[in-house]
Amino acid sequence: VDSGRKQSAPVDEAVICCDVLAHASINANLDEMPNLRRRPGPGVGESLPANILKHADEQTVVGLSAVLHAVQHPALANSRLDEWGIVAGPCFLGRATLVSAMRRFEEEGAWGFSPHFIPHRSQHAISGTISQVLKIHGPNLGAGGGPDNVVESLLAGAVLLHADRLPGVWVVLAAWDPEFIPDRNGCPVSPTTCGALALALVAPQAGFNGIRLRIIPSISQVSHIGKISQRPPSVADVQRSIAHFSMDVSSIAPVAWHLQGGGSLEFRRVEQGTHVELGFGICHRASKENGAGTEIRR
Amino acid sequence: VNRGSPVWITGVGAVTPLSHDYSTIADNLLQGRSGVRRVTGFDVSQHPSQIAAQIDRIPCPQDWDEAEFDTLQKLEQAALWCCCSALQDAGWWDRRHTVKIGIVLGLGCEWLSIWEADAKQGGLRLYRPQEDAESVVSTLRRKLALTGPGISVSAACASGNYALAHARRWLELGWVDVCLAGACDTSVNAMGLAGFGNLRALSRRNEAPEAASRPFDLARDGFVLAEGGAMFVLEPADMARKRSARVYAEVAGCGASSDAHNMVIPSPDPEPACVAMRQALADACIDPGGVDYINAHATSTSVGDVAETRVLELVLGSALPKVPVSSTKSMTGHCLTAAAAVEALACLVAIEHRAIPPTINLDDPDPECNLCHVARETRSGPVRVAVSNSFGFGGSNTCLVLRAV
Repeated sequence: VDSGRKQSAPVDEAVICCDVLAHASINANLDEMPNLRRRPGPGVGESLPANILKHADEQTVVGLSAVLHAVQHPALANSRLDEWGIVAGPCFLGRATLVSAMRRFEEEGAWGFSPHFIPHRSQHAISGTISQVLKIHGPNLGAGGGPDNVVESLLAGAVLLHADRLPGVWVVLAAWDPEFIPDRNGCPVSPTTCGALALALVAPQAGFNGIRLRIIPSISQVSHIGKISQRPPSVADVQRSIAHFSMDVSSIAPVAWHLQGGGSLEFRRVEQGTHVELGFGICHRASKENGAGTEIRR
Repeated sequence: VNRGSPVWITGVGAVTPLSHDYSTIADNLLQGRSGVRRVTGFDVSQHPSQIAAQIDRIPCPQDWDEAEFDTLQKLEQAALWCCCSALQDAGWWDRRHTVKIGIVLGLGCEWLSIWEADAKQGGLRLYRPQEDAESVVSTLRRKLALTGPGISVSAACASGNYALAHARRWLELGWVDVCLAGACDTSVNAMGLAGFGNLRALSRRNEAPEAASRPFDLARDGFVLAEGGAMFVLEPADMARKRSARVYAEVAGCGASSDAHNMVIPSPDPEPACVAMRQALADACIDPGGVDYINAHATSTSVGDVAETRVLELVLGSALPKVPVSSTKSMTGHCLTAAAAVEALACLVAIEHRAIPPTINLDDPDPECNLCHVARETRSGPVRVAVSNSFGFGGSNTCLVLRAV
């Protein structure tokens, strides 16, 4: 059997790079969520339809909020965002709400089941809501949905950007940290925070100074130099990495994660569109505005 | 992106309300048979809609341990059956270790489905996140020993088209030698029926299930909930040619856009959906007049069918009266996340059999949906280019162009 690899694209073309033009992180606990629903970010506020986030999942609220903060970055000032794509990766969306939905169904029967549950707890809910609020007409889809939501979303976002020749793609990652463990009333058994990271990805630009995402498939002759984490990254892991790159502009050590099926996914800081490979960087928690993005602890 | 070698479909696996093997599904589609029945398996007496197109017991794949298969959730069984069948159909099953096979799977409510099914069996997985260590895609990669990457994509009813488009890109990039792509959904359950029922999206023609799904008909009153799945084997044309594979069609074009209007209601502005169709036709280098068949999204709702008609009017222009249109949801019901994949399969049937499956129950076409309908009976004739529209909650619009090889 001919494996077909000889017919594939040249190996250099198999590597996909995207520049992170802007980014923002949002973290909020349950007490902070009502305010965030009413005013998820700058630029919308009163103009947001009153009920648009009323039934939205918490991961949708923080995901939208992260995009609304990232979109303020000057690098996006002249961008036509309405043609961008959106890939959003929720993580175990609807776990808490399902508890109360199931209980209400048991108590009240079919009529007790909310018609808002399915549209707002399906895996496309975050991307669809962001598309609606920001009037983005490019493709919108969910990716992942479980423990691999980060890698699957970044993979999908990078491929969408590369193949569809879109001006840009929002990749929005969201999750509870630690995972929301509901009691029988749907309340968390221990404190937890809902976090999201929004990344504005564009095609690599000459002379770019900032954070670059590289997807290096196993067929590539290019390889990541340095340590590659075998454990799937969490949203918090990527938030920390991005914050680290933003705060420490001298940091050029990349962070990388293993891809299912071989190869790796890495973030690195580039200067003037080049990079120097030094190995695996150690990430630190960050909590202030810096560089191309915004880290907000609400 | 290397567009050098076209991407062909060389294998099909499916679970649908019209059977679980391609040739029987094809026969049922071309005979105009409905898969809609009164719901069985749970009490529907309190539900406004009491009908659905359900799948029968999913067969255990060949060479698979039946006892182990029985332990899987229904969604996992459906996906596994579709993948195994598709790989066997393509001739890759016994040789799958020799190539890098990836998987792109459309799923809408993966974890909700699993938690709900588990809870019904008395499980507590909903409360135990540590048990949610592996997604369906990861399970499939492990059980099938696939060595390529895997992801799930979710765009509601448009998910299957996104999966096919994504898989084609992976092949063009050389990331995989072969790719499984499609979608599965097993949402015909008590809460699914209640959720869509309370959205007032479902037909309440409970006394006549087989007549309930009637896209474009004046008497339509909502869609019929359905479940199913379809997976396809995609590979570069060069490789398929070399191994003399059976070829169903070329994945010739894909387009996608968003309404940015409402999470559940189609936009009154047809332009965003037109963009998706035009992208797909341009991607396939096809003029509207070159389209031989359109498998419409048309779910049998009052708003959606008219909205799609406006889109077809704008995109097809002067070709509108000549391009045959049908909605196979009249027979399969609306398979939700799996709809686009199941309808891609219907397009393959049309191409292979040189016959367009009809919109059954289209007795009195809505004058607001003035199209070249293939109503009630199959229409014979060559189908070289088939177009499948799939639109979804979240404002997703997608279009897929399949071309005969």
